[in-house]
Amino acid sequence: MRNDNRVTIPNSKFLIPNCFLVTVTIIFCVGVFLPLGSLFMRITPESFSQVVNSPQFSAAVWNSVSTAFVATIISMILGLAAALSLERTNLRGKNFFAVIFGAPMLIPSISHSFGLVALFGANGWLTNIFRLDINIYGTIGIIAGSVMYAFPVAFFIFLSVLRCEDGSPYLAAEVLGVPKIRRFIDLTLPYLRRTIISTFFAIFSMIVTDYGVPLMIGGKTITLSVLMYNKAVSMMDYASGSVLGVILIVPALIAFVADILNPPPKQNVFAKNISLVEKNSSHVVKIFCVMLSLLIVAPLITFCVMTFATKYPVDMNFTLYHVTRTIHRGALDNWLNSLIIAVVSAIIGTIFSFALAYFSTRVNGLAAKVVHLLSILPMTIPGIALGLGYVIFFHDAPIYGTLIILTAVNVMHFFSSPYLMMRNTLEKISANVEAVGKVLGVPRRFIIRDVILPKVRFTLCEMFAYFFVNAMMTISAVSYLAPPAPKPLALMITQFEAQRLMESAAAVSIVILLTNLALKILLTRLEKKFAR
Amino acid sequence: MDVQLKLAAEKISKAYDKNSVLRQVSFDVRDGEFFSILGSSGCGKTTLLQILIGLLDADDGKIFKDGTDITNLEPARRGMGIVFQNYALFDNMTVFKNVSYALKFHGVDDDSAQKKSARMLDIVGLKNFSSKMPAELSGGQQQRVAIARALALEPDIILFDEPLSALDASTRLDIRRELKNIQRTLGTTMIYVTHDQEEAFALSDRVMILNRGVVSQIGSPEEIISSPANDYVQSFVVDNLQTKIDSLRRFEKQCGMRNLK
Repeated sequence: MRNDNRVTIPNSKFLIPNCFLVTVTIIFCVGVFLPLGSLFMRITPESFSQVVNSPQFSAAVWNSVSTAFVATIISMILGLAAALSLERTNLRGKNFFAVIFGAPMLIPSISHSFGLVALFGANGWLTNIFRLDINIYGTIGIIAGSVMYAFPVAFFIFLSVLRCEDGSPYLAAEVLGVPKIRRFIDLTLPYLRRTIISTFFAIFSMIVTDYGVPLMIGGKTITLSVLMYNKAVSMMDYASGSVLGVILIVPALIAFVADILNPPPKQNVFAKNISLVEKNSSHVVKIFCVMLSLLIVAPLITFCVMTFATKYPVDMNFTLYHVTRTIHRGALDNWLNSLIIAVVSAIIGTIFSFALAYFSTRVNGLAAKVVHLLSILPMTIPGIALGLGYVIFFHDAPIYGTLIILTAVNVMHFFSSPYLMMRNTLEKISANVEAVGKVLGVPRRFIIRDVILPKVRFTLCEMFAYFFVNAMMTISAVSYLAPPAPKPLALMITQFEAQRLMESAAAVSIVILLTNLALKILLTRLEKKFAR
Repeated sequence: MDVQLKLAAEKISKAYDKNSVLRQVSFDVRDGEFFSILGSSGCGKTTLLQILIGLLDADDGKIFKDGTDITNLEPARRGMGIVFQNYALFDNMTVFKNVSYALKFHGVDDDSAQKKSARMLDIVGLKNFSSKMPAELSGGQQQRVAIARALALEPDIILFDEPLSALDASTRLDIRRELKNIQRTLGTTMIYVTHDQEEAFALSDRVMILNRGVVSQIGSPEEIISSPANDYVQSFVVDNLQTKIDSLRRFEKQCGMRNLK
């Protein structure tokens, strides 16, 4: 049987691919490369040596690298353990645990450190109840907050990879009497090798470039991202900010190269005939999942309590005072801003990434390769670097200071992942479908509308959710652009924290969580309707 | 006898990155004929099929249909249908919709489209499956839908790209029989790409053997078996078939002996 059933579609006959390529290149130039270029242009030898030779810099590099390294390892171990618990045991309530484990993905990174402060800070309720004497502000806090932030990402990556593993080698090993632990070491770990490497780099760069966690909980421990935030946002020192922004691209670039050098193996089409789910789950697994869920839920519950308690943690009487105060300070308007940005960037982002994924999977030749490369490049640019690039490049443009620029930066910043989701789905649809359309005289746009889009509808929903949720909670790319642009809700957390209005910061975190949750529920319902 | 030519390929050549896939391939297909293109994997047979139907451009050479040059004609205007190994059904549409879908793009009104689709489904034996979704059907049934879909536009040539390779042995035999019936009833010319010698020889009026992009021999099954053109044809076709026949004879003999006991 032949493996490659694809029909080559002649380039010259496809939607004038060169025009498409030119348009896409222009969009990426304006949306990514020119802003990034202006970031580079701001760097002078003087500003570079000034930043690099400052005493703060070497400390920040050490703080960033050490905390990110430890947090990456911990979140990967927890993510793998949680994924194994859900994928390989017959634990009850798997869906429930999956929702809980994914919940931290629905709130901004800054909320995680804020949650830790609420639990373990000077006035935290766990500190009070257990009379704890730990200093959460600093390295420990950064690591803990980063783990909360990165854990769900690791969890979902491992979950999806474990889900595709073929069970037959395990069955063979069991029949041969290979003990469980050896099966894990000799079968599971080698199977996960590539995932472990690429996840390590992806999560490391995600943590290093995030400033939400260390800004709030870092105390005197300054990381590179916080240093950049202080220079560029607080002091408006764009020259130093640009130097740091460019330095922060390095880890993501390493992740990118590591991924390219470490390509995924060809999928085994016969995989997953044999289930890998164990017949029982040990108490250790149950206790682990329950403990993890409690750790994840505790800060969220604390946010709710803080929002509605008169003065947390001393006076726990119910009040709406904090809610009304938060609204008075503009939370409702900012929530609307965020909602508009999230919906519009989700719509535009989903359409745009579908178009590019379709092009790069359905056309042969150089044009498709260029489009693919352009589409995955935004992955290498941290939000804070892209955001600063936007400030410098678009400063005099008419869209500066409007919701348009916030939407644009979100679409470009979060573009790569949804693009890859769609590409992955489209690669599984035989190009013979289009070939049949051609032979039957059905124009391509009808094949896309009537056959391709219905087939990829679930992926479209996922892509929409990805853009929406990320746009709703991001603080990185947008922090430089608002003000003067209308402020997205997530940025109010930073503002309230600076004003010591903790209850309002908690309320905002909860609103973001609920908004994202509502969207997820809506899309799940839609998907169920589709499935019928 | 006056033999009418349906399709003629003249010196078709194709290369991918200087890698020659087809070299000066020429052949004729007669009207109403069942013509097979037989060769091992990588011999260029699928590439040739895609060039014939216009999904791929040849680097060199011409294709004529009913005496008219169709080399640069769009696939949809060549009056041909195609059936793929992987069915390529529109799996979000019902069986009926799969067959009728393309008709509206050719100005066929709803009423005629309904009648025509129903007839095609009847021909392939799926009259009672109209409202099913492709996923509810077996592989053989799905391939029948693909055949009905190709027939609906009443092409005078249908091309098959290893249509039975993914099916089990008994389904293969059933569909083979049906293909021959369709060919007889509708008089459609069929060009059939396969790597299976037995299939090609059982179905075809004539077979073309392709080896590394070059035509080794064209002829009726009897001609090829009685006088193979070269060593490749001898080993790839004749010896191979002989081995199968021998093993069948042995099996027959063993069963016969057992029956005697």
